[in-house]
Amino acid sequence: METFGIDFKELPVKGNTRKRLYGSVELDRIKEHIRKFKEVGFNHLVAISCIDWIDDGKFEVVYHLWSYEELVDIFLSVMIDRDNPSLQSVKELFPQAETYEREMHEMFGVYFDGNDRLTEFILEDWDGPPPMRKDFDTKKYAEERFYSVPPVGDVDEGV
Amino acid sequence: MSKEMSYRDWTEVERLLSRRSLWIIHFCTGCGAMEMPAIMTSRYDMERFGIMPMATPRQADIMLVTGYVAVKTLKRIVRVYEQMQDPKYVVAFGSCPINGGLYWDSYNTIKQLDKYIPVDIYIAGCMPRPEAIMDALLKLMDMIDRGEADGWRRYKEQFEVYKANQNRVFKRWD
Amino acid sequence: MKEYELFIGPQHVGITGNFMVHLTLEGDTVVSAEAHPGYLHRGFEKLMERRDWSMNVALIPRICVPEPDVNEAAYAMAVESLMGWDIPERAKYIRTIVLELARISAYLLAIGGYAGTIGLYTAPQWMMGDRDYILDLFEELTGARVYHIFIFPGGVRWDIPDGFEERVKKVMDYLESRLQLYDELLFKNEVFFRRAPNIGVIPKDKAVEWGVTGPNLRACGYDYDVRRLDPYAAYEEMDFDVISYPDSVKGFDILSDGCDCYARMVVRRVELQESIKIIRQAVDNLPPGEVTLKRPNPLAWKVPKGYAYARVESSKGEYGYFVVSNGGKNPYRVHVRGPSYTHGINVIETILKGSNIADVSPIMFSLDICPPDIER
Repeated sequence: METFGIDFKELPVKGNTRKRLYGSVELDRIKEHIRKFKEVGFNHLVAISCIDWIDDGKFEVVYHLWSYEELVDIFLSVMIDRDNPSLQSVKELFPQAETYEREMHEMFGVYFDGNDRLTEFILEDWDGPPPMRKDFDTKKYAEERFYSVPPVGDVDEGV
Repeated sequence: MSKEMSYRDWTEVERLLSRRSLWIIHFCTGCGAMEMPAIMTSRYDMERFGIMPMATPRQADIMLVTGYVAVKTLKRIVRVYEQMQDPKYVVAFGSCPINGGLYWDSYNTIKQLDKYIPVDIYIAGCMPRPEAIMDALLKLMDMIDRGEADGWRRYKEQFEVYKANQNRVFKRWD
Repeated sequence: MKEYELFIGPQHVGITGNFMVHLTLEGDTVVSAEAHPGYLHRGFEKLMERRDWSMNVALIPRICVPEPDVNEAAYAMAVESLMGWDIPERAKYIRTIVLELARISAYLLAIGGYAGTIGLYTAPQWMMGDRDYILDLFEELTGARVYHIFIFPGGVRWDIPDGFEERVKKVMDYLESRLQLYDELLFKNEVFFRRAPNIGVIPKDKAVEWGVTGPNLRACGYDYDVRRLDPYAAYEEMDFDVISYPDSVKGFDILSDGCDCYARMVVRRVELQESIKIIRQAVDNLPPGEVTLKRPNPLAWKVPKGYAYARVESSKGEYGYFVVSNGGKNPYRVHVRGPSYTHGINVIETILKGSNIADVSPIMFSLDICPPDIER
């Protein structure tokens, strides 16, 4: 299998059977690598995920591709800065990447250059910080917004 | 016949007739929607009690809030509830409308449905069985007979309080 | 002609779950479509980071309502990959039986729902009634009709009760006898022949690039199935065919080139028979032994650092869980990849253009979109 110069390591697999390879790529070469892998046969984009490493101050964006011919998964991981996260969009190569990028923009606050549809997607009337970041406390938010609403009528009736 | 006597007799007749043909509005809001088709089939037949699913809110009597309610859905539930005609009843299904259920610390679901629209009867479980749903609907029919299911009256009397609660949760109405 | 906008909103009889499509119409033809999910968002991925590894198993089945067992299986396989556990053989066979029963019940829901959108309302009533027999089997095995918390990392929770194998075989015989009735009702019906072929066509050479998976991809002529390409549980020892249109559908007329509503429904119908075959084989060849590993105390697991991905073939497509651990008590990040994520948003917006308004609902149902796994 062609590796295009990336140093892959194998991930543990139990249950399923095929190999899963994980490799890191630099930020300015990620789109070119995805295009090269797509031409070799990795034409199924499984998912694009984002992981928030708050202690290191970075986001890790993982592009997951699968090839139906060689039956191998590859994970291409790129590290971006947490304070001003921005990446190039891969919408031209895979049209479904638009949806993954919209969700990452809403949930983590990552900006994608080239995707002009970064509008409201899942949350409506949201005015807080991006909810999937590690410094957003969901229990405190739920208490301030929902538990503080007063009940209607006497407190004994109903619940 | 004096006026008071005929009013009382007419209310009893109206309750007797309306409890025999309650129509549910077909709005499946959460996970509990899986057990709705099951009670419509011939095993747990609910049509023998006169209960049928109906597509428009203008002709429905019961609103079944099946499961958790996200903030985006709450706006639509309130609108559908206000479009239904009196007398109308709300049945809350599952443990999520009671106190938040499994998603008690989520940022997008509301925790207690009674603060936003009046609820008449609750069904416990996660998921409730179809027999539990039938039991609750029969109890609702008894409550209608005795005149205790008056959530719609509470909504009209305390309209400002309900509206203030709703406006705390969502910002725009369009 | 003037254009007008129509919202097929969350309260609609033809969609499973709450999902809104905003259409722009010119007369009777759709000019453009926009999908708006978000009515069922609960923030699962955030909630999973606040609970222990074993507490998450109670939260996981609620992501996909018609078929909750695929979630449990994928999560269990991902945790086992990180811990390095090999489960016993009997557990693999029991997992296969549970997954195939869930697949049959989800197919009955999908086929029945599709028949309802083209006006044949008897089919959903019968299919939902037959689905109750499978839910009875689940209740006997796991204790609950819909959300069974049965597949756990390390195996399954307990062994099958006495006499379960005969009851499973009786239900399978009953379902096989009903398949002929379903054919007369729906699959050999003149209304189906007129309303299904050449509606909602996905171009064949772009299907893989658009992210289509599962029976929808097999209806385009590719024979890709995760159970063959990346086997899990006991599927390597089972003898079954991968059904693709038009090569392997036997007994049904070939009325179109493929990738349309007709092909998708026929593929699901033939796969029902294959699932019944797999269950019969699994029940006959159950190996003896234990059903679970000796696990440490579930409230104090130490999962080593790393990344893992597990995929499962659900009735809607490829279901995957990407799990990241940093050695702590809670998962660090769980990303759920649902099959309807790509079907429900990009594919729908592209293939609804140019279709008739009466076909919007059948197209959405034939792709088998389940809105909870778009927004979790």
